[in-house]
Amino acid sequence: MVLNPGIRVELQRTPDDANQRHQLYVQWLNARVGNPSILQLDVIWTPEFAAAGWVLPLTPYGPASSEFFPATIEANTWAGKLYALPWFADVGLLYRRTDLVPREPKTLEEMVGYARAAMSRPGGPHYGIVLQAARYEGLITGFVEYLGAFGGRIIDEKGEVVVNRPEAVRALEFMRDELYGSRVAPLDVLTWHEEEARYAFQNGNAAFMRNWPYAVAAISDTAQSKVAGKFAVSPMPKSGAAPNGHSTAALGGAQLAINAYTESPDAAYKLIAYLTAPEQMLERARAVGQYPTRRALYDDARLKSAIAIPLDDARRAIESATPRPVTPIYTELSEILQIELHRALVRQAEPQDALNSAAARINALIERTGMRKLMSGSAHTE
Amino acid sequence: MTSPALRTRKISRLGHEARLGWTLVAPALSVIALIAIFPLGWTVWESLHLHELRMPWLGQPFVGLANYVEIARDPRFWAALGHTVFFTVVSISLELLIGLFLALAMNRVFRGRGFVRAAVLVPWAIPTVVAALLWRFIFESQGGIANALLVDAGILNQPIVWFIKTATAWVPVILADVWKTTPFVALLLLAGLQNIDLSLYEAAAVDGANAWWQLRHITLPLLKPAILVTLIFRTLDGFRVFDLIYVLTGGGPGTSTEPVALYTFNALLQNLRFGYGSALSVVIFSITFGLALLYVKGLGVRLGGDES
Repeated sequence: MVLNPGIRVELQRTPDDANQRHQLYVQWLNARVGNPSILQLDVIWTPEFAAAGWVLPLTPYGPASSEFFPATIEANTWAGKLYALPWFADVGLLYRRTDLVPREPKTLEEMVGYARAAMSRPGGPHYGIVLQAARYEGLITGFVEYLGAFGGRIIDEKGEVVVNRPEAVRALEFMRDELYGSRVAPLDVLTWHEEEARYAFQNGNAAFMRNWPYAVAAISDTAQSKVAGKFAVSPMPKSGAAPNGHSTAALGGAQLAINAYTESPDAAYKLIAYLTAPEQMLERARAVGQYPTRRALYDDARLKSAIAIPLDDARRAIESATPRPVTPIYTELSEILQIELHRALVRQAEPQDALNSAAARINALIERTGMRKLMSGSAHTE
Repeated sequence: MTSPALRTRKISRLGHEARLGWTLVAPALSVIALIAIFPLGWTVWESLHLHELRMPWLGQPFVGLANYVEIARDPRFWAALGHTVFFTVVSISLELLIGLFLALAMNRVFRGRGFVRAAVLVPWAIPTVVAALLWRFIFESQGGIANALLVDAGILNQPIVWFIKTATAWVPVILADVWKTTPFVALLLLAGLQNIDLSLYEAAAVDGANAWWQLRHITLPLLKPAILVTLIFRTLDGFRVFDLIYVLTGGGPGTSTEPVALYTFNALLQNLRFGYGSALSVVIFSITFGLALLYVKGLGVRLGGDES
């Protein structure tokens, strides 16, 4: 590295699977291991690691957080302090077949209408919409998008659990209606992850797909895709029937944080600053297609040639990005929601009942973990 | 009759032998203590603490039986216990029934018997995770093999999604377990069958007993020890079922096929709740250990009965 000749960087491999990587980190940090000095965190881990004291606050280093998309900063902030810098962003996108769908749908209702129309065309696709609704983290990211579209939230700014409010119930009912009412989504999606949805879409079996940006490359590849050049992406639309709804994309991606047990935090920050610099983000976009988290780069012509979709579509998606609940107990909260949402979607429970049960269990979790006290404490430090 | 002096000498020699005996088994006992009793003790100790690896701010206070109280109040645990019992009873009943039939067939003298016995073991030799993936593939999509066969045969009107309804999600789980473990059951029962004295059947035949009578009054009673051994193995396996369901349904839809081992895995290794997860482990251990004791006791009595 020419900028910091004194710093030698060693790479340490970790498992690709997010759960395994998380487990490994937790074991290291419980044993106070100082290596690696920089941790690559999933967007939903930062508050957990921050509350546990496993990563250092970056605030003393004065990072220019206003240069990043606000949602990516919000996701990395706990108790008023920034604990990680967003390295690259992942956002939920709505893929559509340009040969079957006349234009980008402005509302969810319009999307379902287009999907039905596409399915009923002679030779039209089997499925209107494919998404990820197996019982796993992906179900939460999808739900967050429908939830935002109807103006609902899981936890509000005061820390109250609001996932059983009418907006959330309507969002879940809408998802269920796609399966059993308008039947634009096949029941198979209840067992699907990202890849099954991608196969269905790239084989020409679906008019719409909810997925992450990674799928663009494969779907554009004529060697494996039947719909290369016949698709476009946009943010998920809002509901036309909900006045407070807004177009929402679930935020994913990787963050970089400093291991609290490292012996060289200053060098670690220098490396983080280097990796999150504009030039490096452009390089990542060119090399592996990962989206920069700096707003200004979306006005940069060099990014335009680096990513496969129109820059404006990418920018709109990231601007509509919403973090999942920013709380140290996210993983267990997510498990509760995954189960209850899945129960509602497979019709083991009614949406209202499932969400009431989720809310009750999340509240019990908050009590059990002392989160209420921690959250009020965090409000004071802000 | 023995003199006191002789008696003391005998006792001291016995004491000496006992000491020697203990010394000789000491290494083995310490290994057992190290690898079985120590971890078990540690788990029990953990289960009496609040210990959340992810939440260091909670500390690791001693909480007595609070974790066990939480288990007793948790509907998901009781549901998981119910699923485990259901899975164990249904799959073992089927395995015993089909296994007995297979064992009786293999016990007959016919050409290629050795080949059949080896071939039958193939499913059992496949690692559970691989077998589970195979069965998942068969049942997975609406265009899967199971759907195609059943629709062709006219049993289903249209393809169904097996893994989104509780009743249908159990089908591949039970089928996979029966397919995989019946050979093992059959082999154990076959070993039992071969211990039965053939002259009993000859005598029965001379007395005019038909095959059904022979099966009920000779084969089954004399096969009881083998059946009990099989039951012990299979019940303990059934209670600890994990990999098969982890791969096939992940415990879903919702949590309606989740067994206790999967629930424990989740608490312990996904949520890293060491205290609560340890309490769950202790509960599972107690149940399986209790079952094993019951069986061994039952088996011991019957073996004793055979000897008399």
